[in-house]
Amino acid sequence: MRQFFAVTVAFALLPNAWAQMPGVEMKEGMKSRMPTMPSELPRWMNSRGLDEIFYKRGPYNWAIDRIPAFAKDMYATGVGHAMAYEALVTGQANQLESKVFSKIDWVLQHPPSMPVDEAAISPRFVQKYGYLEKVFDWAHTLHFQTIDVFSHPGMTDAEKEVEIDRLWKFYQSEPYAITGLPMNMEYLDSFPYSMTFRTNYPKVNGLFWGYHWLQTVNYDMLYRVPVKDHVPQYEVLGEQYRTSELYKTDRDFMPMTAEMSPRFAKRFPYIANAFDNLHMLHDNVNDILAYPGLTEIQKEHQIKIAIYRVLETTHAGQKAGEGEPMTLHDHRHPPSIPGMGMMKGSEDDVMFMSGMGWMDMSECAHCSIALPEEGPWGATVSANGWTMMVRCMMCARDMAAETPGRAIIRAATEDENRLLVMISDEEGNWTSNIKDVVFLEVFGQHPECSSWSRAFTSQAAFEKFVQANPELKEIKPLSLEAWSKLNYGTPETYRKIDRPNPYRSGGGATPPSDGGSK
Amino acid sequence: MRRLITLGCCALIASVSLASDHNNLDKERPLRFEDAYSIAYRSFEFQNGLRLDTFRRGKPVYNFRSEIQYGFSKNKDIAIGFEPSYSSESRKAVGNAVEFSYFEGFAREIGDKPALGYRVDVGIPVSGGKGVALRARGILTKTVGQFDKIHVNVDVLHSTEAEPNTRQMSLGAVIGYSRPLGYPRRFDQTLLAEFGVEQSRQRGGNLNGWVGLGMRRQLSSTGVLDFGIQTDLFRDKLEQASPVRLTVGYSVNF
Repeated sequence: MRQFFAVTVAFALLPNAWAQMPGVEMKEGMKSRMPTMPSELPRWMNSRGLDEIFYKRGPYNWAIDRIPAFAKDMYATGVGHAMAYEALVTGQANQLESKVFSKIDWVLQHPPSMPVDEAAISPRFVQKYGYLEKVFDWAHTLHFQTIDVFSHPGMTDAEKEVEIDRLWKFYQSEPYAITGLPMNMEYLDSFPYSMTFRTNYPKVNGLFWGYHWLQTVNYDMLYRVPVKDHVPQYEVLGEQYRTSELYKTDRDFMPMTAEMSPRFAKRFPYIANAFDNLHMLHDNVNDILAYPGLTEIQKEHQIKIAIYRVLETTHAGQKAGEGEPMTLHDHRHPPSIPGMGMMKGSEDDVMFMSGMGWMDMSECAHCSIALPEEGPWGATVSANGWTMMVRCMMCARDMAAETPGRAIIRAATEDENRLLVMISDEEGNWTSNIKDVVFLEVFGQHPECSSWSRAFTSQAAFEKFVQANPELKEIKPLSLEAWSKLNYGTPETYRKIDRPNPYRSGGGATPPSDGGSK
Repeated sequence: MRRLITLGCCALIASVSLASDHNNLDKERPLRFEDAYSIAYRSFEFQNGLRLDTFRRGKPVYNFRSEIQYGFSKNKDIAIGFEPSYSSESRKAVGNAVEFSYFEGFAREIGDKPALGYRVDVGIPVSGGKGVALRARGILTKTVGQFDKIHVNVDVLHSTEAEPNTRQMSLGAVIGYSRPLGYPRRFDQTLLAEFGVEQSRQRGGNLNGWVGLGMRRQLSSTGVLDFGIQTDLFRDKLEQASPVRLTVGYSVNF
């Protein structure tokens, strides 16, 4: 027995430090500007349990693996997040832009084929900020499960939409859920620490925003798009992600879900908002960890406050579309985009989009005519990293032609259950997911373009439409090849909104290194 | 045969937890120790494994272990398992015991404080044994350095009806080590090692001690393959030492 106890006691004598953390002490000059602790934080933030939660059961789980390259890139984003966070809390911040960046980049270019356990890659970060990991994990679960549902071949589009709503309710049932209300992004990015990370670590910040580009651009690739058309689209988007989006250091702001996936954001605005709020939380955390003016304890407190700001429970009883500007409960949104909070400088539907300039989101991005509120929504064009909504097929084609590189058009047809997906090569040669697609195009006045520039799933469908519209009876259907050769350039109705970049003082070319209240 | 049943019952008592993640360590998958975390809330985990015990002066014993766990609450799971065995010496298979387990991981690692958990197992013999075998296990998991983890498991075993000349209560402890293998380029496997001691079941007997080395490897989003090798370092003279004990298993969660 003595022998036994001797061995046991030896086991128990592990390196251990139970020291209490020092008290909070804000530095002089910060008190009025640094966010202060709310009167009561949710109790779960102080829970000692790991509180791991399993995802909702369903036949769709891990259907993301049906798009292997996309799945791998998504799995690698977890590694990238974890490695950067671990470096920030283990005294390797000075290597972030060099050694750590190279390590992350290697993984991004050689992504894992299975999901990774982020907590295992960043053990010190999780020990310190376990409550934050619960919020991240739960939101990432929503990310993956919504993708799984859309990627699953065994459900109709209608069934998928119902299941997405169930997933949202499932997500909301836990206290770690992030609000689906729009939040003012300018406000969330206006604290003394804001923009520190992107200023001090532009390359790694570029990676983070690259992940967020991938995590938001995929939804329009998947939403109401036949499963067989997912992989071909990702060949375009994946290449864009790996060769360009990850390495952009000149973005003005993080990619927003409604910018990258406008159709999805319109249908599920609460999910789009939750993802944006999650991504903003990532930015807040990055900035807090990188901000040199905070002690370790102050960082912990600021991270708890940042979590509190975006939690569903914090905004109970609040309504989308309402709120006092530039406050915690500023839940206004551009009228035509319920899935996005107000941005810096935005007025109604006019907002600044990084890389695109000022846009009126209620208008066609190509002809500046108002997008119809009802009926077929026209098309979206994805090219060179952006996605824009347009009124008609002509606008889609001609806008894509103005942009170098490959493009994707996702367009409504006469059959609301059949989405046309067209992909162009570098030379502008289009392929279509609908073999018998034909087009109607009679160049006329742009304000009516959505009636004379359309796509049909077959010649029969075209003829039926023409019969119902006698003024078009002389018009012949255009094959994809013939339609592809047309180009009417920039329409006369196009109206460029000429205002300075709100993120860059003086309209300079450098990305914002300060902003908000700084 | 009763001895085999008793041994099987004791081997089964002390089971598992955790989700099918190669970093989450479960008892007997493939080594004896486990970490201080339960499986995820609302998840099921189905674990199966084969173990071969070799002996210098005897023929091998084959064990099949199967267990299903359910995370019925945050940080808590329950499980039911069985572990039939086949002795090539006696050429007989026995069912040994059905085991019911409760696990709670009540603290994760925060700062320098270790993760803590415990389990209670109840083994009920199904093929001839008598009484009920109980095990209480305290578990501590602590990260040392950046990725290395130490796991300490301390066991108290109690038999309600001990056989003549055997202990009614005995103690044991395992110190385990784990480390992910392949960082920062691969993220799908974990190396494990252990050193354990336990009191011999013989009344007045000495300590038994063993070492083990194992690997857990993620095979899919939900499945983990494990394999391990153990050897007895010292054993009470009335018990047979196993120079090589091989284990292979597969776990899946759903």
